[in-house]
Amino acid sequence: MKARLAAATDLDRLLDPDDAAWSGARSERLKLEGTPAGMQPTAVIRTAWADKAIGAVGRVEVAALHNGRELAFRLAWEDASENGALGDTTSFPDGAAILLPTLPTAPAITMGAPGIPVNAWYWRADEPEGGRHLVAEGLGTSKTLEGGAVRGRGHWKSGRWQVVLARTLALQSAEAVVQLEAGGTIGFAVAIWEGGRGERAGIKAFSGPQWIELQLEGGR
Amino acid sequence: MARSERQLAMVMDLNKCIGCQTCTIACKRLWTRDEGMEYMWWNTVNTQPGRGTPRDWEEMGGGFRDGDARPGKLPTRRDFGDAWDFNYDEVFHGGKGDTVHLKVQGEEPDWGPNWDEDQGAGEYPNAYYFYLPRICNHCTHPACLEACPRKAIVKREDDGIVLVDEDRCRGYRFCMEACPYKKIYFNHAEKVAQKCIFCFPRIEQGVANACARQCPGRVRFVGYRDDESGPIHKLVDRWKVALPLHPEYGTEPNVFYVPPLAPPRFDENGDIDESQPRIPNEYLVSLFGPKVLDVLEALKAEMAKTRSGGRSEILDTLIAYKWKDMFGGFDRDPATIEWTRS
Ligand code: SF4
Ligand code: SF4
Repeated sequence: MKARLAAATDLDRLLDPDDAAWSGARSERLKLEGTPAGMQPTAVIRTAWADKAIGAVGRVEVAALHNGRELAFRLAWEDASENGALGDTTSFPDGAAILLPTLPTAPAITMGAPGIPVNAWYWRADEPEGGRHLVAEGLGTSKTLEGGAVRGRGHWKSGRWQVVLARTLALQSAEAVVQLEAGGTIGFAVAIWEGGRGERAGIKAFSGPQWIELQLEGGR
Repeated sequence: MARSERQLAMVMDLNKCIGCQTCTIACKRLWTRDEGMEYMWWNTVNTQPGRGTPRDWEEMGGGFRDGDARPGKLPTRRDFGDAWDFNYDEVFHGGKGDTVHLKVQGEEPDWGPNWDEDQGAGEYPNAYYFYLPRICNHCTHPACLEACPRKAIVKREDDGIVLVDEDRCRGYRFCMEACPYKKIYFNHAEKVAQKCIFCFPRIEQGVANACARQCPGRVRFVGYRDDESGPIHKLVDRWKVALPLHPEYGTEPNVFYVPPLAPPRFDENGDIDESQPRIPNEYLVSLFGPKVLDVLEALKAEMAKTRSGGRSEILDTLIAYKWKDMFGGFDRDPATIEWTRS
């Protein structure tokens, strides 16, 4: 997959999933699968989900653009119900994330492993204008990095979510964060949570164990 | 299993609870006044038999069966009774104090904390009920802690208090599903799980829990389980007159109850009928397990002893002649401490 260079498009425009710039990006359709119940980190989650369908969202359309300073992913998927507010104890928000390995050997399916961290760019429908930058070394270990490097924006319209997640290509941090550059190639994975079905944490639809290759156009 | 080095515990004597909710309010005033906490009552007192708080919590699953995690249900805010809005402004500040009375705003509530107050069960003249105060049990085998995929719940090594680490919590609510006592709340403003903290900031200063210290009924004993000179060890381990609620849930609670005795029944002639208890044994067994019958017999024997002029150390302890003896050394006066909110 390619992230086309849209040098004249600033971050604010990239973050708008309806911006004309996105018509220049090629969308790819990814099939998603549910994370296996047996892989969940605690017994009660494994038991509770053993006979329930996981991964309500079966397909996502992904496009990527960069402007030489920031890389943005646009995710779009069908969802009949908009689960945004945290109204009751029983309501969970829809969500989406891009996962990036800091080392090519990082396992995608377990969100990294001890000593082999991954980064997640995370968006949730209860904060539609927000994004979170996470680093994880295995299931349940993710921590949010300060500094607001990841920006997210999403909206739901007539049965469809469109969410953009973006970050600067180079990022200074004491933590293990992925460095990106024009002309470079990275791997990524996608996760989508259907809040209406109680999906949260490791209960999600996922693009699978293989990292998907993304080439950032341009370069020296 | 997350067994801690030492374990703090509480014993509540159900024969003395008058259902006044002073404990509930003491806790509310101290810990759950912020936004997102409106509907929280870390301490509840319900009439038994009754549906409890949250409504029908005993049918919501969770805990362990034969050692295996048993899935549970998430209670809704309505099940907890939610927080009702009143027309305070209108009545108190709007100049309508003479004409308008306080009323719940919005939808008419169909449930609240202790909604079925004093209903109980049985028929006159043999009706019965008692009050059951509940907090988080700070379990030895906490289902909440084991359910969390983020290890955001900790059991403190030094005293066994179970706490949610709000920095790690992501509001996934698996703990709420897993706790069979339904003693975890979700704060929708902070987006984290919250629950009884056993007043740890007070405990750390030698002050007993607010619910225990404020209780006018002298119902609640506090202390370390292994403190042989303290009330907990005596009541739970030496004399064995206090039992956990629903031991079959498998979490090994550290709140124990002295089960309720009741006045005798009357027969159809209005004469005292000692042939069967007023509170059915099966009901008490369903709450506290089969050992409850032994405890009731033991308590009756102690009462008979004092009636015939003897002394009973057990009853003296339960009566709590010396208030401070109830707190296992945590008897410092909180007014002597300068508290700051961090
Ligand atoms: S009562 Fe529930 S919340 Fe409290 S420690 Fe036990 S399982 Fe956890
Ligand atoms: S304050 Fe004491 S007597 Fe009053 S309801 Fe609470 S436990 Fe019962």
